[in-house]
Amino acid sequence: MRILWKRLSSALLVLIGASFITFTLARVIPSDPALAYIGPKATAADAERLRVTLGLDQPIPIQYFKYLGQTFHGNWGYSLSTKQSVLKEITDRLPATLELIFFAIGFAIIFGVTLGVLAAKYRGRFQDSLIRIISIAGVSMPAFWFGLLLQLLFAGRLGWFPATGEFDIEVKYDNPIHKVTGFPILDSLITGNFSAATNGLHHMVLPALTLSAYSFGLLSRMARANMLEVLSQDHIKVSRAYGLSERIIFFKLALRNALPPIVTVTGLSIAYLITGTFFVEQVYNWPGIGSFAVNSLISIDYPAIMGITLLAAIGYLVTNFIVDLIQAKLDPRVGMR
Amino acid sequence: MALSTFSPSSRNRFVAVATALLLGAASLSIPSSAQAATLFKVATSAAVTTWDPIQSFSTEAFYMTNIYEPLLWKNPDAAADDYSPALATSWNSSKDGKTWTFKLRAGATFHDGTPVNAAAVKASIESSKAVGGAGFIWDPLKTIDTPSADTVVFNLSYPAPLDLIASSTYGAYIISPAALAAVAKDAKYYDSGKDGGSGPYTISSYKAGSSVVLTAYAKHWADVKPAYSTIDISITPDGITAQQMMTSGQVDWATNIPLTSVKSFRTNNKYKVAVYKSPFNYVGYFNTLRAPLNNPVVRQALSYAINYRDIVKVGGQGYATQARGPVPAGIYPFDKNIPQYSRQLAKAKSLLASAGVKNLKLKITYASENSAEARFVPLIKDAFESIGVSADVQGILFNQQWAAAKKDPANAQDLFIVKYWPTYSDAGVDNLWSLFHSSTKPFFNLSYWKNATYDKLIDDAITLSGSDKAGAQKLYSQAMNILFTEAPGLYLYDESQVSVLPKKFIIPSYNINYPFSAFFAGVKLAS
Repeated sequence: MRILWKRLSSALLVLIGASFITFTLARVIPSDPALAYIGPKATAADAERLRVTLGLDQPIPIQYFKYLGQTFHGNWGYSLSTKQSVLKEITDRLPATLELIFFAIGFAIIFGVTLGVLAAKYRGRFQDSLIRIISIAGVSMPAFWFGLLLQLLFAGRLGWFPATGEFDIEVKYDNPIHKVTGFPILDSLITGNFSAATNGLHHMVLPALTLSAYSFGLLSRMARANMLEVLSQDHIKVSRAYGLSERIIFFKLALRNALPPIVTVTGLSIAYLITGTFFVEQVYNWPGIGSFAVNSLISIDYPAIMGITLLAAIGYLVTNFIVDLIQAKLDPRVGMR
Repeated sequence: MALSTFSPSSRNRFVAVATALLLGAASLSIPSSAQAATLFKVATSAAVTTWDPIQSFSTEAFYMTNIYEPLLWKNPDAAADDYSPALATSWNSSKDGKTWTFKLRAGATFHDGTPVNAAAVKASIESSKAVGGAGFIWDPLKTIDTPSADTVVFNLSYPAPLDLIASSTYGAYIISPAALAAVAKDAKYYDSGKDGGSGPYTISSYKAGSSVVLTAYAKHWADVKPAYSTIDISITPDGITAQQMMTSGQVDWATNIPLTSVKSFRTNNKYKVAVYKSPFNYVGYFNTLRAPLNNPVVRQALSYAINYRDIVKVGGQGYATQARGPVPAGIYPFDKNIPQYSRQLAKAKSLLASAGVKNLKLKITYASENSAEARFVPLIKDAFESIGVSADVQGILFNQQWAAAKKDPANAQDLFIVKYWPTYSDAGVDNLWSLFHSSTKPFFNLSYWKNATYDKLIDDAITLSGSDKAGAQKLYSQAMNILFTEAPGLYLYDESQVSVLPKKFIIPSYNINYPFSAFFAGVKLAS
């Protein structure tokens, strides 16, 4: 309980620090949030009136403390560009982003770890080199570029997958999704709307592949390195000497011991994917937090920028906390220190 | 090899499963659409700053002109008539141009079912004038009389072309009195996508920053109903993404194809490329408060250094023409006889030397979100360097660029690049006044230039334009000649509107008077 309390207090400090830095930066750059709200051709008098309404005429420290107080009461302000509550914007868009992250990390874990293990098995051979090339390409290729290439090939040339969007536009007229959890693909499955679900999965393939590229490459290299390290340890040699089968040695002994660092990297990857969606959602016109973040940054929509920063910080903290719990479970030597 | 548990057969199985998954996903059928015949799908970059038709002053005009109607629509130049009737069917003005009478259309109703009548027109225009923003277009308006339910009389304090003003993209919509009352009580009334219009479409769904769905208004007064009852619009800021959506068939039409991609559509037989004049004009403001830019000779020298041909080619990708001042070709009071600067390096150097300028270093700012500016501004820097003037180029967001320029003019940028367009089709009242007329506090005159002769010419022309358009044109032309000689700005180019149109559909032609708009009621299947 004490550890949990300690972790929560440090998390709170991190959140306050992140909010303070973002708030200050958003206010010191030369821009006019009032004009962002009512449009550039509004009169000076209109803009001045709005500045007073939005509290922008007050000193920055007062504005910050007001913001902090309102945030803790669930009022994250109003987006200057969409005029909607920032919290509502975030909660409306978060499910689309979380589903994308879920499939992306799923791709990365399944293919990344599998290929990493295969690379370890075929160390130094053709398969190992091929996997290395794919992994390095995944890590080094910028997401927006990789996304455009996938779009051009699989949507533009081959026509196998849709170029953009979460669903075909027709879905909302022919097979509308009834909201249960807010997660569109999950809701389609729960409500038996399989036509929408398959369409959603079809749309998911390219963005999820794009978003997973970095994590896939990282996990693949990590899995290979850890497997090779564990396979060279004495207890594996002893197990072989005892005549245990290679399948047991490989999957039961080696992979289990190689997993903890992979779990840590997976956790960090999820945190990376939160910001990775900024580019991917823009390329695929995905109606999630990432595209909202990019549009907010371009229009210097500071309440939205603040909200997204807080969300990203919370995402990092929660992910790291969960990773710590899983690590402690997988490896008893790692306690909740 | 010790690690031999993965046999070739298991590897083949893995490959087979992966291939099956990929092909399975690829073959997922896209659901057939019951709506297909009545659904038109669009991708556009047009953001919605506000749904309030009185506050509206930006790209939401794309939607607004389908939802709301003014009294008149202004036709493109090539049309037989100057105007088409919208909510007014006839109109006339007194000889002195100070009294205008409009007869309203019988049977027109707002989307809430209430009739469009004289009281609604009066309330809408009085609200627009009171609120500000585009309300400045009603500056000549003194009072409005409503002698009957279908007659509105506008009494002006000075003669003005009220037919032109009443057909403005901004500030001239007629709004349901119920909506006006609702927004007076709750300023956020429109934010969720409510409307108070009478146009052929009404908003049926709005996801901020993501999508807008318009549905045909069944009781609209027009005899011919829209061919498409539902217009589904995906807000897609990125042009390349919009292009992918159109070419892959996800949407029927994308309105924001990047200029750099237009060439590829010229050879694609599914599309045609249409080029129109647009009201968009690129200007660079010199900071006339700072030495040596406070000397017109130095500004002239810099104007002669520019390679306009290359800027048109690179910035407008060939879909542009060199500007003749800040009034775009095709918009009143454009004058084709206004002189233009051309690249004359020797003359530029000589003018600079005569002004005694050496080692001049300038700071140029442009809006980083504008890809055309990002392309051509480096050419301005190169041009200045060719006459020995160095330049520091800063691409920043327009809001920042503008805020910095207004905050401290004396220490602001030396050259401010801007894309400008008039609020309605009168660039005398807007461009010439807004960009270069002197003001106590800078707003859009970011050259901070003050010239009493110019101010008087513009003020007189504005007053005269309601009763003597030709006389006003003469005054405007004199003013534009002063802009050429005094060079408070660099006059770069008039941008063309390039539309990539799918041949499968008939899409109404672009109307220069409504630069952000698409009129969906006229969209039809081609065959």
